[in-house]
Amino acid sequence: MRTRTFKQTYGELTRLLPYSSSWTWYVALLAALIALPLVGPTYVSTFVLLILSAAVGAIGLNIVTGSAGLISLGHAGFLAIGAYTTAILTTDYGFDLIPTLVIAGLVSAASSLLVGIPSLRLKGLYLAITTLAFSIIVTQLIVEAEWLTGGSIGKAVTRTTVFGYPVRSTISIYYIALGVLVLTIFGALNLLRSRVGRAWMAIRDYDTAARMMGINLVQYKLFAFAVSAFLTGVAGGLSALYVRYINIDGFTLIVSVEAVAMILVGGLGSVRGAILGAIIITILPDVSRWLMNTMFRSVFVLPAANSQEIKGIIYAVMIILFLRYEPDGLAARWAVIKRFWSEWPLGKARG
Amino acid sequence: MTASLLRVAGLTKRFGGLVAVDQASFDVAPGEIVSVIGPNGAGKTTLFNLICRLYSADAGSVDFDGKNLLAYRADQLAGIGISRTFQNLALFEHGTVVENMLVGMHSRLKSGVLAGAFYWGPCQNEEIEARKEVERIIEFLEIEEIRSQPVSMLSYGLRKRVELGRALGTQPRLLMLDEMVSGMNQEETEDIARFILDLRDEFGIAVLMIEHDMNVVMDISDKVYVLNFGVPIASGTPAEVSSNPAVIDAYLGKSAA
Repeated sequence: MRTRTFKQTYGELTRLLPYSSSWTWYVALLAALIALPLVGPTYVSTFVLLILSAAVGAIGLNIVTGSAGLISLGHAGFLAIGAYTTAILTTDYGFDLIPTLVIAGLVSAASSLLVGIPSLRLKGLYLAITTLAFSIIVTQLIVEAEWLTGGSIGKAVTRTTVFGYPVRSTISIYYIALGVLVLTIFGALNLLRSRVGRAWMAIRDYDTAARMMGINLVQYKLFAFAVSAFLTGVAGGLSALYVRYINIDGFTLIVSVEAVAMILVGGLGSVRGAILGAIIITILPDVSRWLMNTMFRSVFVLPAANSQEIKGIIYAVMIILFLRYEPDGLAARWAVIKRFWSEWPLGKARG
Repeated sequence: MTASLLRVAGLTKRFGGLVAVDQASFDVAPGEIVSVIGPNGAGKTTLFNLICRLYSADAGSVDFDGKNLLAYRADQLAGIGISRTFQNLALFEHGTVVENMLVGMHSRLKSGVLAGAFYWGPCQNEEIEARKEVERIIEFLEIEEIRSQPVSMLSYGLRKRVELGRALGTQPRLLMLDEMVSGMNQEETEDIARFILDLRDEFGIAVLMIEHDMNVVMDISDKVYVLNFGVPIASGTPAEVSSNPAVIDAYLGKSAA
């Protein structure tokens, strides 16, 4: 059983992790992720790459929806903007990858003001519909602007260079994504534990009281949208890099639903939750396909072409189950399990 | 007479045909405790919301420390020294006690999105200072043992106390309390009354409060201001007001007088 460490300065109270020993575990996890492509089979690291970039996007969505309480069904739009910006900059202009990803995020953040401004007056369902409309408008504009985006045919993405070194393999993209995710995690955690993050929480929980505490609702809602769209745009850029060929079919409503499912399953407002959700939702379609193929082959005959519909059903079922049985998501479950084992054998299973 | 901190003159608010507040006028001097009383529906909370810029006034003026308050937005008031609590609890339910109080310090901190994301020097120092300050408020309100609990787990009386602490985080010169002690037991009520007196005596904070508990009103107010159906009917010291026939009429009806 771990004893409570006594805090001696106020600085210790504001630390990211309460116990310095916890860093060991996170460093070990990072080392494992760095070693994975070197020791594991390629398909495993490709799969983890999917999770890494999904986690960046999920953390982004969780800032606006989980922390600031502004529901968005339009994040496929930001993902598309990030992906297309990346494709255009690398393929047509030969930009280096790092500035490309930053610009992809900034373009996406700028576009978020278009949907952020109506959000100042809308809440709940109305905001969800507005953001949904935004993502539809984005895909429509991408189809129309054929000279820039390749229209409905799509656009190839060239893997250019990183700091002048040519990017040849998916493994290189994997390391870029890992670096981006680590930066995203630190950035999001820092924001959420400081002034801006607290303002978002205040707006979500009681907006009138937030105003009386000096929080400018307009400014902070726009900040939430911009930060969220920035991260989602970067995630879109990463996905464009590993997909290598993008087209608007990759940015339909199901992608937004998938992102919402990630943060609901993982836990609203929690960075750890967004990551756990990204893991679960990314592997879920494959796990369930494997289960159906091996165990229930005689019952279900599921052609691969139906996978899109199956995904929709699986997400719906997951969302319903979590809302009913674990509304605080996996992050809350994680905390309960952690408390159980750190107090073992004195603790209770629930408490 | 000292210059007033808050001066309300001819403040009027209409909701359609209903005149919720009609020509309210009063002063709060620095370090003064002023109570607004009146029967239910008298327009007390509307008066508060007008002063806090949550409603816009139809007529009249509100001056705070020489500034025309009607030219400010609600979210700018914390910065110039006005803070309030709400009649129904308005805490940030998902936060802990400390987090709620840190939100109160919002207007006194500076770090923006970029500084927050990188948590570099100034931002970190600011957070540490804020944490220290919160600890002082916690000590003042005697809620040390609940500081890291989520507010949703606290009792009603403690939540009210946290809300007071959050309002103190803005370092107000005028604190507006909307029915602080309603629903509290005798002991909790006495604690709150003691805190209000201490705030005035130790920090020179002026308090404007809406209160139904006449014991509190009569014991700690310097001045009492009585509203009935939006119309001001009396003002003065607690002793003057409680012997005023118009006030007795409003509370007890004509026959009692």
